[in-house]
Amino acid sequence: MTDGSFRIVDGPIDVGALVTGAFRPDCGAVATFVGTTRVDEGEGTSVEYLEYEAYRPMADRKLEEIGEEIRGRWDVGHVSIVHKLGRVDPGEPSVVIVVASPRRGPAFEASRYAIERIKEIVPIWKREIWSDGYVWVGSQVGTRSTPAE
Amino acid sequence: MEQVKVLLFGAAADQAGTREAEFTANGVTLDELWSMLTLKYPALSPMRGTLAFAINGEYAKGEEMVNAGDEVAVLPPVSGG
Repeated sequence: MTDGSFRIVDGPIDVGALVTGAFRPDCGAVATFVGTTRVDEGEGTSVEYLEYEAYRPMADRKLEEIGEEIRGRWDVGHVSIVHKLGRVDPGEPSVVIVVASPRRGPAFEASRYAIERIKEIVPIWKREIWSDGYVWVGSQVGTRSTPAE
Repeated sequence: MEQVKVLLFGAAADQAGTREAEFTANGVTLDELWSMLTLKYPALSPMRGTLAFAINGEYAKGEEMVNAGDEVAVLPPVSGG
């Protein structure tokens, strides 16, 4: 039996509650991956925050699919993935993945797999809001006069 | 008359200047719908090579059929995480 949840949220992510929610008597390892907003510096400008949008409910279903893939490949007792939309300030979490497994190997591997798959198949997009405009990450389209490269 | 609803996201919505469009179409391929879309929003054309598409919430290729009542999504390279 595997438990857990796959959610896309607008508010802040309670990382602590997600981690402790994965504790189970049949699992001896809980691996957590937290993606946070990193501030890149340009010439005289910097990223002020990130903003995420998603195509729902396709994005919700793709998160669940990743969970199914993980359950098919590894012996896991718990998989949770939570992704935030909207504004995420520097140093704040945008995505949290928690995997519990009887042993540490599958927990580490499955949590790594989850974040790589999110970046491949889940229709979520982020733009960097700079002091002088914004840029869609991955498309390099935006309103900045001095494009980042 | 039943329409095909097209949703645009991220950079594609920026380039088109809209997040949603409707076309009168039935039994056309995704590639044919793309031609209708770029006729209306020419600024989308250069993005073609970077885009993925979904029909009714599932990834779809250019030769797949679009029918009236379907929802088509124009998806730039995803950048979640």
